[in-house]
Amino acid sequence: CNTGESFTRGQKITPDQLEQVPIGSSREQVLLALGTPTSTGLADGEAFYYISQTSARTVAFQRPSVRDRRILAVYLDDDNKVRDIAEYGLKDGKVFDYLSRKTRTSGADLAFVSQLLGGLMNPTL
Amino acid sequence: CGNRVTELEFEDTPADQLYNEALVLMNAGDYRTAMVKFEEVDRLHPHTDLGRKSQVMLAFASYSRGNYQEAINSAKRFITLYPNHPDAPYAQYIIANSYYRQIPDVTRDQADTKQALDAYQVLIDKYPDSEYAEDARNKIQATKDQLAGKQMEIGRYYLERDDNLAAINRFRIVVEKYQTTRHVEEALFRLTESYYALGLTQEAQTAAAVLGHNFPQSRWYKDAYSLLEKGGYAPEESKSSWISRAFQGFSLL
Amino acid sequence: AVVSRIVVEGNSRVDDATVEAYLTIRPGESFGPRQIDESIDTLFATGLFQDVTINQQGGSLVVRVVENPVISRVSFEGNRRVSDEILEGTVQSRSRSMFSRTQVQADVQRILEVYRRRGSYLATVEPQTINRGENRVDLIFNINEGDKTKVARITFIGNGSFSDARLRDVIQTKESGWLGWLRSSDTYDPERLQADQDLLRRFYFNRGFADFRILSATADYDRERNAFFITFTLDEGEQYKFGSVRVDTTLADLDPEQLERKVDSRPGRRYSAEQIEKSMEDLTLAANRQGYPFASVVPTGERNFEEGTIDVVYRVDQGQQAYIERIDIVGNTTTRDYVIRREFDVSEGDAYNRVLLDRAERRLRALGFFENVRITTSQGSEPDRVIVTVTVQEKATGKVSFGIGYSTSDGVVGDLSVEEANFLGRGQYVKASIGGGANTQEAEFSFTEPYLFGRRISAGFDLYTRISEEHDTQAYDMNETGGGLRFGLPITEETSVQVFYNLFNRDVSVDESDCAAGNLSLAVCDSAGGRITSLIGVSLVYNTLDDQYNPSEGIYAKATTEFAGLGGDTYFWRNTAKARYYHEVVPAFGVVGLLGIEGGAMQALNDDLRIQDQFFVGGSKLRGFDSSGIGPRDRATGEALGGRYYFTATAEATFPIPFLPPEAGLSGAVFADAGSLWGVDPDIMSRNGGSNSVVSNDFHLRASGGLGVLWRSPFGPIRADFAVPFIKEDVDETQVFRLSGGTQF
Repeated sequence: CNTGESFTRGQKITPDQLEQVPIGSSREQVLLALGTPTSTGLADGEAFYYISQTSARTVAFQRPSVRDRRILAVYLDDDNKVRDIAEYGLKDGKVFDYLSRKTRTSGADLAFVSQLLGGLMNPTL
Repeated sequence: CGNRVTELEFEDTPADQLYNEALVLMNAGDYRTAMVKFEEVDRLHPHTDLGRKSQVMLAFASYSRGNYQEAINSAKRFITLYPNHPDAPYAQYIIANSYYRQIPDVTRDQADTKQALDAYQVLIDKYPDSEYAEDARNKIQATKDQLAGKQMEIGRYYLERDDNLAAINRFRIVVEKYQTTRHVEEALFRLTESYYALGLTQEAQTAAAVLGHNFPQSRWYKDAYSLLEKGGYAPEESKSSWISRAFQGFSLL
Repeated sequence: AVVSRIVVEGNSRVDDATVEAYLTIRPGESFGPRQIDESIDTLFATGLFQDVTINQQGGSLVVRVVENPVISRVSFEGNRRVSDEILEGTVQSRSRSMFSRTQVQADVQRILEVYRRRGSYLATVEPQTINRGENRVDLIFNINEGDKTKVARITFIGNGSFSDARLRDVIQTKESGWLGWLRSSDTYDPERLQADQDLLRRFYFNRGFADFRILSATADYDRERNAFFITFTLDEGEQYKFGSVRVDTTLADLDPEQLERKVDSRPGRRYSAEQIEKSMEDLTLAANRQGYPFASVVPTGERNFEEGTIDVVYRVDQGQQAYIERIDIVGNTTTRDYVIRREFDVSEGDAYNRVLLDRAERRLRALGFFENVRITTSQGSEPDRVIVTVTVQEKATGKVSFGIGYSTSDGVVGDLSVEEANFLGRGQYVKASIGGGANTQEAEFSFTEPYLFGRRISAGFDLYTRISEEHDTQAYDMNETGGGLRFGLPITEETSVQVFYNLFNRDVSVDESDCAAGNLSLAVCDSAGGRITSLIGVSLVYNTLDDQYNPSEGIYAKATTEFAGLGGDTYFWRNTAKARYYHEVVPAFGVVGLLGIEGGAMQALNDDLRIQDQFFVGGSKLRGFDSSGIGPRDRATGEALGGRYYFTATAEATFPIPFLPPEAGLSGAVFADAGSLWGVDPDIMSRNGGSNSVVSNDFHLRASGGLGVLWRSPFGPIRADFAVPFIKEDVDETQVFRLSGGTQF
């Protein structure tokens, strides 16, 4: 019995959408054809990233693991024309453990007694 | 029961004596009886300045006793009645502090944090040179820090689940809107991690470089540097990226 | 016009500067009638003034105001059923705030609303003001509550397929029994009546009545008896089955046949709205997987009157093209953000898909932490971006409950328990309880984390101590203290695996003189002393019950295997399995049938097994027989020694007793039980004095039949069973009458 479930994250760009933005097409054309990018670039000149990722789990209690990732990068030159288009896959991703340290935050935490008394105030019948 | 003070006794005591007795009770921490006395000053001598001052003290007494909603209500009433009374900034300060005291930890709804921020902002806009403006500015910084902390909490939630694109958007909110908070260093580091995990090494290098320029001694920068170094990359920033643009006004270069 | 100065008249409490601050007219600046109206409006808006007039006299502007008096005290007279604090919380007028007539009228309505919500429709409120001088007034609300308006009778017209009693279970409004004062759900509340209609629609739509309509839901008020008579007039329509099921789609490379296999609503099965929702969800997920994140599924049904079937067509098309920009969670003052966020399969940046959001909303409601959950969407920062806002309204999840009960085997039992379903807002469940009775005392603590390390694994531990003193069916005192770790792993929506480890110490003490005198069996005397059991086990659970506490449809099956011997003194391998199937046999009369079987087999892994480690059968497991009333027994002294193999089966039908008025809450049951317990452990037998010292040690079927009466009394469900064993061994101990019941306050 297939107990697995899989989820597609982010924006999947179909091949025919891609054909509408050859090298040299304008920034507006890209936005029109592919829609708003999942995230724009930090690096030199403007870059649009369309990221999609499928993760799946074979059994309900597992945490879905990433099975496939596709990143379409559209690089624009200084006068906003498409300079280059690149594709990154799951193999380009780097695997490492994220740092667990957190910047300290404040705010009163919830005390159990106050929560319990809340229950006392209106006993459910 | 006990020394329940009734109102009738005060029929003819002068306002300032009553007011001072109330102040003594306040300092002694007996806010309950103090409130009854302040109420009497307001009741018997409503149009005097002491009558008005006691209304503010009533708000402060509720605040000290911890029922913040009551403090906010009475302080707001005072400001509607006497918007340009010399104690108006203090009433506004009580309102802001009442919200500030109820700020929950970052994993819960930050409605009170937002209200505290707005209340302090009103204090600075309407009474810029009041004695409370300085503390209001610090408290605004603290509330922004808390709001940034919430965004980071959600960002880390998605990062742990390898939803890097969701995480990136949350950390960007911190870098764009909460630049002056302590969380911006970690946000830049998390952006380095997220982009690096996606394989977009250029972006990772840029984020790390901006982190390095603006916070060279930060532990987060050391972590970012060692993370990239392991993969044979080094932080190098490209000027025109939105982050460096976002930091133009801020950067210590 | 222009004025050189402004004169304020009629004010005493409010000083001139304040009035001027609210004007939009400044000396020296030109102004017109519009500015005058604006100023008057803003002055009124402050709530400080009864009347404001502005007119120009020569070079100065005269602003004449009449101040509202100040309220010095607000008090309530005549309110018994609602406390002052609650009333103070609802009215807007407060001491030291400004008195205004419109405000007081609004407060009167608010107080009446509070009383209407609590079922007192006769309540009247008279506001009264006492002038205290210095423009100050005392405000008194004189309340005449009138006695409580009850719901005398709820009747249904046109409900051919389901009995009134069955439908009364479905809706929330209840009839006032003679203990109505305990409950608040027996008052008439229009909103609750509205919710009841939705509950009825959902109930019928899920049982095949696609054309079900509520013609009217009326509440007629009878003045003398001060009670409401509620009548639902229904048109059930046909009960349909699913006819043909087809999926058609305009999306390229989506293969309809393959999608159709995903659909739950199979031809021939009873039509159910829930199954259609489930199918829509499965189809959406299937379409997503094949690259259509925006697939939207729209079901349409064509009725076929002759065959009483509905042909369902699921149209799968391209839905709204939008991505989720952010998921904002609002209102969670107690529950932590991640406890809510983790119920979403969709995350930020994903394609917007309403079906997945509905699934998350259903999951959040099932948590039981929230009064209400609403997921709304709003326009994001870009045309193709959507912001999802999750608004939760939390409820108190802490519960302190005290219960008393009686049963023929344990006598009067009482228990006190403290429970918190959302401990510290982390979604963790904590329960501590102590209980006691004539011959048993117990204390228990349990903790469960539903999401261990962010995965859907529920981990928990329990600590308990249980003392049961010697009584007629137990010849020894027993004190069990220990604890256990457990992990629940859901495999699919219905099946889950539980892995657990238990460690407990059991002290058995027997009456030494009885043993010496020989009137206690050697096996029982031999079982005295303390022993540690350390066991590990795995269970597989399959559960499709429609309601965990009062099931009328569905299957619950559980198979467990346990190995004791990870250290400790006890070594055995024990397997048990049970299955119960509930089905509404005759829905028209609310008859629910139950078929259940249960069995177990264990094998000692050393020669030191004690009788307490074995199975004992009787009492509720096999009605008609005393607890541990059947199975191997000491020939001389008659104590039950337990057995290594057992099996029981039961068939039961429960039905509301006809001809009785429904509010009596009486329902009957007819049942038949059968079962056996056999095969005492050979080492125990030899220590007890060999095979002839034990009687009825091999398999003999026992069977019994009987009647039961279940009374849903105001003190909680009480059940009495009369069971006559018609196949039994002569050494068995029978128990024809059993009574058990109890309630939780």
